[in-house]
Amino acid sequence: MKTHTLNEREKKRKRRNNLVAYSFIAPNFIGFAVFTLVPIVVAFYMAFCQWDGSNPAKFIGFDNFINLTKDTFFLNALLNTFLYCLGTVPITMIISLGLAVLLNQKIKGRGLIRAIACFPYVGSIIAVTTVWRMLFHPTKGPVNSILFDLFQMDSLPQWFSGRLIILSYILFSLWKSMGYYMVIYLAGLQGIPNELYEAAELDGAGRWQKFRYVTWPQLRSTTFFVVIILTIGCFKIYDTAVLLSGTNNMSTSSMVLVSFIYTKAFTNWNLGYASAAAICLFLIVLVVTLIQFKNESKFSND
Amino acid sequence: MKKRWVSILLCATMIITAGLTGCGGNTNSGKKEGTEGKVHLKWAMWDYSLIDYWEDLADEYMKTHPDIEIECVDFGSNDYSNVLATEMSGSGTEIDIVSIKDVVSYATLIEKNAIVPLDDYIAKDNVDLAKFNGVTDQVTVDGKLYELPFRNDVWWIFYNKDIFDEKGLEYPTNDMTWEEYDKLAREVTDTNFGSEVYGAHYHPWPSTVQLLGTLDGEHSILDKKYDFMKPYYEMVLKQEDDGVCMKYPDLITEGLHYSAAFSNGNIAMMNMGSWAVTTLLTKLSSGEFDPELCGNWAIASYPHAEGVEAGTTLGAITGLSVAQESDNKDEAWDFINWVSGEEGAKVLAKTGNFPAISNDAVRQEISSMEGFPQDEQSMEALNYKKMYLETPYGKDLSQINEVLGTYHSMIMNRECTVEEGITKMNEETAKIQ
Repeated sequence: MKTHTLNEREKKRKRRNNLVAYSFIAPNFIGFAVFTLVPIVVAFYMAFCQWDGSNPAKFIGFDNFINLTKDTFFLNALLNTFLYCLGTVPITMIISLGLAVLLNQKIKGRGLIRAIACFPYVGSIIAVTTVWRMLFHPTKGPVNSILFDLFQMDSLPQWFSGRLIILSYILFSLWKSMGYYMVIYLAGLQGIPNELYEAAELDGAGRWQKFRYVTWPQLRSTTFFVVIILTIGCFKIYDTAVLLSGTNNMSTSSMVLVSFIYTKAFTNWNLGYASAAAICLFLIVLVVTLIQFKNESKFSND
Repeated sequence: MKKRWVSILLCATMIITAGLTGCGGNTNSGKKEGTEGKVHLKWAMWDYSLIDYWEDLADEYMKTHPDIEIECVDFGSNDYSNVLATEMSGSGTEIDIVSIKDVVSYATLIEKNAIVPLDDYIAKDNVDLAKFNGVTDQVTVDGKLYELPFRNDVWWIFYNKDIFDEKGLEYPTNDMTWEEYDKLAREVTDTNFGSEVYGAHYHPWPSTVQLLGTLDGEHSILDKKYDFMKPYYEMVLKQEDDGVCMKYPDLITEGLHYSAAFSNGNIAMMNMGSWAVTTLLTKLSSGEFDPELCGNWAIASYPHAEGVEAGTTLGAITGLSVAQESDNKDEAWDFINWVSGEEGAKVLAKTGNFPAISNDAVRQEISSMEGFPQDEQSMEALNYKKMYLETPYGKDLSQINEVLGTYHSMIMNRECTVEEGITKMNEETAKIQ
């Protein structure tokens, strides 16, 4: 009898706790549901329709996806986005890790250097891309004039057209975001207990061995986080691409997935087609993230 | 117990607020009434603070129509067509009068059923479309007209007299072929360091190069066969190589505005639309542009293709339409009719803009503006013989535009040859259903 009432009371308290929790989540969740969740679900349906935003949507099955596979602009955008990710993710990760390791040591002016490394991340992207475009100006920019002085090249690189523009995207986002990821790595480094290094030293480990067998494994969860966030961010590249290429008429070597989606949706008003491209982007990011999760869990079971 | 009340209260507040915000949109139904029972019209436009005539037109109209109140809604100019189309999508827009910036946007809004055909109104009020010099025919869709143009810009050659005087060369004439233009641009060019003069200037828009091929009246950008653009691409690229004009990648990287480029006083000739006149005049009079460098400018008729009448040019119209969703269609129509008519034209001409109805009185008004070139040739250039719209109406216009824009930048960036680019244009536009 006594246990029964206890159970009742327990349940009641739980319910009340849940209610309080839900009421705190609700404001955020309602906003999320109305402005994000519902549109995402609708986008999944729209990907199978032909719709211009005004006239009734027409269900056309997989036509949008089939057309995407034949679309030169989509395939180019996809390729460019992949190239950009392949370049950006590993380089940013390695450089910000290197910076973090360097700036984790007790050197003079450490705080100042850390702050400087973070500056690009704080700057407004519009202002920063404008400066970047001046620096890399094909005929008047300091970068090309240095290159000319050093190598006396006849044809200086065109940083904002042709294949090189992807390299410009990569260099730009590396420069812009390495400070941010450095901070994350710094936090990770500070979480590594000193005893581990002392133990390694006792075992006669050198600098590299300490890094290889203590730092790197200890930073695994940080690295995992950095890589996931970087990858997702890379696939979403849009502002950098639009601002650096400097024109609405993106050439096939500068267009990226999101710019393709934007044009299809809001210039051509082919919302179904744009949704289909967005679903492809979603699936790609999902698959890449799942692979990384799988790798992570494999390693943590070691 | 107290805690529970708090949580219940919290929940209740949340539900009420959610309900309230959800219903917020439904309060406007029926005829919109402005202050003191006036009819309130919302007018979609761009750059309200930069362009003088929006406010002038609305004020002037309200003076003679005291029962109407016009509210200007600024959507910005950069992305105007996209933002406007988003606003007009689906239902629920409060816009009554729509300004249409280009034919691409016009085509999009018709596809979306966002604007209404004006033919019944035109018949009712006996509007004589002949006053628009046939331009309305080029935007008639299946026998229906959805906009009335109120502004009609044409392309000219803007040139800097001082540069020609200095070199002792004749000014460009009102009767030149593009070959002659190319020749003259090369003559006036100076590539010596320190005294550089560019004979020509091409703004990065596709229209400054691609459309030169449509001046023969046989081709248009709707053709889906673009081999007619080849000679003009070759001309411009050759000019770039020889230092006759600035290079496309440089212009893109700098984001150089055409008026800023011209104001440096080292550009002899520039092909540009008549909309540049107001910018030049206002910036020269405000002192932003140095009159020493570019104050002595004039215009010449657009060069033409071999065998085509001199005075043939390209043009662009800006129009007004009535929104499908408007509750005050009759009042909106009356305003549109007024703006595109004589009285609206006067207001436009006063600010140095070119109204769609062009007659001697309007031309007189514009040419008498302070700072407008007064030589005979410029006066003559104001009268064009034949005008082709930059973009005639076509259903696939926005997709064609995208393809042409993409390969334009690739050709101009020299990512591909002219032949490859044009072949690609033909292939990609052929895929559009």
